[in-house]
Amino acid sequence: MRKLMMAGISASILTAVAASGASAQDLIFPKGEGAFSWDALEEFAAAHQGMEGQSLSIWGPWREGGDQEQFVTVLAYFEDATGIDVQYGSSENYEQQAQIDAAAGSPANITILPQPGLLADMASKGYLVPLGDDMRQFVSEAHAAGDSLVSLGTYDDPDGNATFYAVPYKSDLKSLVWYSPDNFADAGYEVPTTLEELFALQDQMVADGNTPWCIGLGSGGATGWPATDWMEDLMLRTHSPEDYDAWVSNDLKFNDPKIIEVMELFGSIAKNDEMVAGGAAAVGTTDFRESPLGLFSVPAECYMHHQASFIPSFFPEGTELGVDADFFYFPAYEGKDLGKPVLGAGTLATITKDSEAARAFIEFLGNPISNEIWMAQSGFLSTLKAANTETYGNETLKGEGEILLQATTFRFDASDLMPAAVGQGSFWSGMVDFVGGASAEEVANDIQNSWDAIR
Amino acid sequence: MTDVLQQILGAAVAVAVALLAAVAYFWVSNWLLDKTFGTAADTGTGSARNDAIRGHIRPWLFMFPALLFLSIYLVYPVIETVRLSLLDNASVGFVGLDNYIWAIGDDGFQRSVFNNIMWLIIVPSLSTGFGLVIAVLADRLWWGQIAKSLVFMPMAISFVGASVIWKFVYDFRSEGSEQIGALNAIVTGLGLPPQAWITLPVWNSIFLMVILIWIQTGFAMVILSAALRGIPEETLEAARIDGANDVRIFFDIMIPQIWGTIVVVWTTITIVVLKVFDIIFAMTNGQWDTEVLANLMFKWMFVNFDYGRGSAIAVVIMLSVLPIMIWNIRRANAEEGTR
Repeated sequence: MRKLMMAGISASILTAVAASGASAQDLIFPKGEGAFSWDALEEFAAAHQGMEGQSLSIWGPWREGGDQEQFVTVLAYFEDATGIDVQYGSSENYEQQAQIDAAAGSPANITILPQPGLLADMASKGYLVPLGDDMRQFVSEAHAAGDSLVSLGTYDDPDGNATFYAVPYKSDLKSLVWYSPDNFADAGYEVPTTLEELFALQDQMVADGNTPWCIGLGSGGATGWPATDWMEDLMLRTHSPEDYDAWVSNDLKFNDPKIIEVMELFGSIAKNDEMVAGGAAAVGTTDFRESPLGLFSVPAECYMHHQASFIPSFFPEGTELGVDADFFYFPAYEGKDLGKPVLGAGTLATITKDSEAARAFIEFLGNPISNEIWMAQSGFLSTLKAANTETYGNETLKGEGEILLQATTFRFDASDLMPAAVGQGSFWSGMVDFVGGASAEEVANDIQNSWDAIR
Repeated sequence: MTDVLQQILGAAVAVAVALLAAVAYFWVSNWLLDKTFGTAADTGTGSARNDAIRGHIRPWLFMFPALLFLSIYLVYPVIETVRLSLLDNASVGFVGLDNYIWAIGDDGFQRSVFNNIMWLIIVPSLSTGFGLVIAVLADRLWWGQIAKSLVFMPMAISFVGASVIWKFVYDFRSEGSEQIGALNAIVTGLGLPPQAWITLPVWNSIFLMVILIWIQTGFAMVILSAALRGIPEETLEAARIDGANDVRIFFDIMIPQIWGTIVVVWTTITIVVLKVFDIIFAMTNGQWDTEVLANLMFKWMFVNFDYGRGSAIAVVIMLSVLPIMIWNIRRANAEEGTR
């Protein structure tokens, strides 16, 4: 009895912590209004009748004060359509928690994570439930660059067979260069459409006595990661997607001449005092959140800033996107036949405890409504072709969404795919050493050594 | 808000229930014991034997809950950690001592050991030293109590909280922009260029140690202050009459008498230092050569999910804490014994 009572109490405490999310709540956009794909929602609801009262637990990366509010508004439509009761939970170190819950045998039905590398690890331990051929077929056809996304969600099962486990939901776009249209107009610069033009433009800026770039790698314990995005974008523009994949899997060694070439290309910008605001020494120590501010200072400290779609959150207050600040696609070489590669990141949803409701939810994520509801709010880019781009909350999101849909090659952030010891360890610190003066060979060897040390 | 209230309420109920349960356990088990091996009033025989049995059983009965929880939460994890440290990353195959051999050859491990040794030398000595000096000097000042309260206050702050505070002290903005970090504001105020303090190897470790010294000095001060009060006044008076000056009294009269306490304080802080994790995790995550064993263990365990290596590092930490701990307990027992 005592035990029961204690269990009851601790359970009620736990639910109070974890389930402060989805409960019966009003739908944020009234059904039938706007450019939303309401028909698709109706179809989905019609196909999932008789599930009232079932419950579904979801564990994901979006926390209170971050994107949890938006995700909960999406869940409300799922609950409304199916009558399923959804419990959403997250925590500061949700990645570790997801892994630990799975290892302990008490995972959520659905686990959503932004690191395919971590999911691959979980798949190899048998924590994930295969989604089946139909779902794989669906993702490959319904999403832009669908095949890239299928391979992103395909991992080896415990027996080493490649199996489809995860569907994409919510993307971030990294291949962006931010600039001030006013500054460009004043100096007479044009937005470059090829990488050749971009390199010519930066030389022009230097010749004019201007500084082309603001680069800041500082990010507390994660210092160095912005440089890994640079490396990845340049990698996709100088070598084939196959080479990129081989790099991620370490079939192409980190100290391969191809990688060193890319690193030196990055070095030709970041390690050149004339190319970066504050000189090369400032690159490693400037905080990535502070770095874009140089675009807006008078006179401009720099003219361009390479960063993902989230960065406007750190622009000065009152900056109007499209007017005071805008972006262009980080262009590809005209002279190389590598198409329009896009570097991105995003979250992937998997089933960690199978149920009818879990299957329904995975299907729901492929329904345009699940994307549009969030697109209409903020910070959500969709690769789903059926999702109506008219629903994007603003022009900036819409423009980014279009870049994503036009991509011929979509590649996921390599550092998130590499083993954590490299992708969230030696790659970061190696890039800090590199801009700090170490040679590309030295750094590449160090990173490869740390990779060899993993088993 | 209702969530918070619900949590507080839940916690209060849990505490009350646990307390009642504990009282009920001791009362009921004691009653059962008396009942089973009670002194039979009607016959009067065997009562001495029953008394002896009760005397033997009762301590075990009362210690049972503590022993149970210690086994579940302490002994079992230790055994399990040692076992995992002999297995591979997924805890499937037996690899013998491979994880330890890997550790010895690993750069990160070596650097962590080196840094831990630096922490071990610097933090306990400076914390104890400052604590002792403040304890002695504060007693002579009218505002000594206020000073002592202020020095003690950081003790109440969690390590992560302290790290956040010190992040603002060490914060760096590039030259030319306004410095929001206290240290850089001072440095630029003196006309020198700002420094990214936590990225300067060797020095950055010391900057991190300052945080722990800031926290632990209060602890050392309070314990040593109490010990100083315990010094018999006659010994100090005798020294003064013999013409010893304050410095001489401090080193030759006070220190020898509280030496035992100093050692206990020192070793206690040493154990804290060996386990130091939060500060590194929150400030640098081991970057710029500031890695320590506890953070390295966390990384291998919960970032790289290599349970074998993570456990091996955990075992190394445990083995290095163990002798100090045993010695500390013996020492503390001996102290008790002399009183």
